[in-house]
Amino acid sequence: MRKADVLIVGGGLVGCATAWHLARGGAQVTLLEAGDIGMGASGQNAGSLHFQLERRFLENGEALAEQAARTAALSRLAIDDWRGLEAELGADLHVVMDGGLMVAETAEQVGVLERKIARENAEGLATRLLDGDEARAIAPYLSAGILAAGFSGDEGHADARAVTRAFAEAAAHAGAILRMRSPVTSARRLDRGFEIACADETLQGDRLVIACGAWTAQICARLNLHMPLFPVALLMNATERTAKGLRHLVQHVGRRLSMKQTHAGNILIGGGWPARLAQAPDGTFDPRRRPEMIAASLAGNMRAAIDTAPFVAKLNLIRSWTGVTAISADQLPIVGEVPSMPGCWVAGGGSAFTLGPTFARLMAQAMGGRAAPELDIVSPARFEHLNSFMG
Amino acid sequence: MAERYDLAIVGGGPAGQAAALALQGHGLAVAVIDEQPHPGGQILRQPPREFGVTGWMGGKVYAALRRQLGQFEALSGLDWLGGRSVLGLSRSSDASFVLTLSGRSGVETLRARRVLLATGCQDLAVPLPGWTLPGVYAAGGIQAFVKSQQIVPGKRIVLAGTHPLQLLIADQIVAAGASVSAVMFAQSRQAMARLLAESPLVAARQASALLPAGAAMARLRRRGVPVRFGESLLGIVGGERVEGVRSSAGETACDAVGLCYGFVPQSALPRMAGAGMRAAGPAGGWAAECDAWQRTSVAGLYAAGETTGVAGAAAAQCAGRIAGAGIALDLGLLAPGAAERRVAGVRRAHAKHLKFAALLDRIADPTGHFPVMAPSTIVCRCEAVRLADLVSCLDGRSANAVKLASRCGMGPCQGRNCEPTLLRLLGDRADPGFSARFPARPVMLGDLAAPE
Repeated sequence: MRKADVLIVGGGLVGCATAWHLARGGAQVTLLEAGDIGMGASGQNAGSLHFQLERRFLENGEALAEQAARTAALSRLAIDDWRGLEAELGADLHVVMDGGLMVAETAEQVGVLERKIARENAEGLATRLLDGDEARAIAPYLSAGILAAGFSGDEGHADARAVTRAFAEAAAHAGAILRMRSPVTSARRLDRGFEIACADETLQGDRLVIACGAWTAQICARLNLHMPLFPVALLMNATERTAKGLRHLVQHVGRRLSMKQTHAGNILIGGGWPARLAQAPDGTFDPRRRPEMIAASLAGNMRAAIDTAPFVAKLNLIRSWTGVTAISADQLPIVGEVPSMPGCWVAGGGSAFTLGPTFARLMAQAMGGRAAPELDIVSPARFEHLNSFMG
Repeated sequence: MAERYDLAIVGGGPAGQAAALALQGHGLAVAVIDEQPHPGGQILRQPPREFGVTGWMGGKVYAALRRQLGQFEALSGLDWLGGRSVLGLSRSSDASFVLTLSGRSGVETLRARRVLLATGCQDLAVPLPGWTLPGVYAAGGIQAFVKSQQIVPGKRIVLAGTHPLQLLIADQIVAAGASVSAVMFAQSRQAMARLLAESPLVAARQASALLPAGAAMARLRRRGVPVRFGESLLGIVGGERVEGVRSSAGETACDAVGLCYGFVPQSALPRMAGAGMRAAGPAGGWAAECDAWQRTSVAGLYAAGETTGVAGAAAAQCAGRIAGAGIALDLGLLAPGAAERRVAGVRRAHAKHLKFAALLDRIADPTGHFPVMAPSTIVCRCEAVRLADLVSCLDGRSANAVKLASRCGMGPCQGRNCEPTLLRLLGDRADPGFSARFPARPVMLGDLAAPE
């Protein structure tokens, strides 16, 4: 029986980054990944670094917008983390932080932008409102129909495929053991610590980190723990490579849209358009199988992109893909130690590309004994009522 | 074009035509979709009508196919949707299929209760030093130029590979007025002869299929075209474009090269639809799995011809007729006994053609004959991924993981060309290859967008 200080389930961005922080702090870490590194949402997402309040937090009432604004402290940390990441990992991650625009096309959307920016400024995020002409002056590709844009000088994008791989390589270099193609077959709590098994090995660890995206709730269930994370399937699209012309991360405050140009020159277009989750024969969702594309999502996403940056209409779409991520019951991420199960940490629930490196750093910091109060807003403590009968 | 059809046939080649002909008279609303403007498939790729070509594809080899093409073109009551690519194939909520097409008139959508995939095959792309120089073609590409455009893309052409089809292509090139510097088979003549001798009955029964290759070889010899065996291609040389090839026997000057190592099924659509696939053959690629009525594992989805394994036009015709009868059976238009009687003879012929195809597969097997790549050889042309870029990723990862790590297969062709090479490098027979993604062909964003 092999023992480790920390066992990590999930070889995505957060799992690999946590392994790296812990291992270089001297901890013995073993990470189990069911498939290959970064093949879930960490490798399927489009690499946005977004620090303005997300549209999904703005269209579901004031209370949620207020609550989400309080994650701004995490965003401020994430900005610094991303600015230093390439140097720290010694890897080219194609991090570009040339600014991001969240555009508005109607007077009503401009009003939402104004309220959003007031909230962000109150929380210490340096965003500002540009009128249409000001926006077009820095982003000439924007349509004449854009009336205003929220601007954050820190937003941008990075190569999602490279980031998780770099964390994994750094973790392995620091002495962490990363086991690929090792799906968890059992998980249980011991008097002290945890025991996790995969097909050919059983491992014990003092602590356990569950960071496996859409599968997080399933692994928690093996420990008799409810975790209100729900799989969702999203559509992403890539155009052919084209000359560099779209410098910013472009989002829309009133429509589902996120757009950026990669290092290679492809324009990635997404923004939260749904795909259809595959179902298992028993009717439950099966996040392992590829979600099905929804034609209306594709048509809607392309229309939003063209209305925002008309030049993309002439580009060829070369690939659309669907990926599975998870959202929590209240839309905010769930990151931290489970109060009713000391030693068990979870990290999931979206925004985990932009905030992932910060989540990992803060979790490792807290496990090392230095409190990370910035994580309080996303702590699983807020869902403890679900586990009051789980024993 | 209507919005709904009883049956959509993707591909107007020998299999698609045969299925449409088998279903005539049943009153079905049938659409046949093809990327070419005119039916025929690759084997009878038609020149533009404006060319006024006479005596096109006049050889005896093509007589049966030309006869079927004539019957198909005379069919009334079916919608010929030429010049259109199928970008996507999915199930709709009412259990019919939705096909997304793109063509000159933009993107169109049609629904069909049943779909027959008869999408044919493509040349296996074979990377080797120099293969991205202008003037290097897939041998089938040269043949397509000759058949449909009436031009030969070179004056002195070398054909090299392992597939006997290169004899026919060389013969057609010579007949079209260009010269062939050499035809090089990587395998030895003895090895090919031994395989023929091991299956004398199969070979004898299919003498009509073997004779054209023999006749082509004799004609090439008479014209002084060297046909050499046991000669492996080492590299293609040239500055701005092809100037020659280096082989195990030395250098041969030429201005164009046709590579002929085999053919792989067009598999994007069955994979996108989630149909069960199998490893296609020694050349690589994926073939749709079918039952005795050409049904795939997806209810309502059928496949026939090279999509189910490369076996030649005659086998494709048989499979198309069987698929037609199977679809009629499943739609209740034919009773089981009647359907079986209708195809009894076809099944016998089909089995015979498949046996011959299996023999040809063994003779043409490129395994062990692939040219050696250099570290700088580009494997994925779309994304310019070199062998050296891939080697560091081949640590037990899946093809999809290598794609994410290296960009191999991320370009406009969606891995159609590089996937077989990558899977050979991975050497993991259980790896299912790249996930098939929409769109099967690149398409302009503006054509896909919802109306303003």
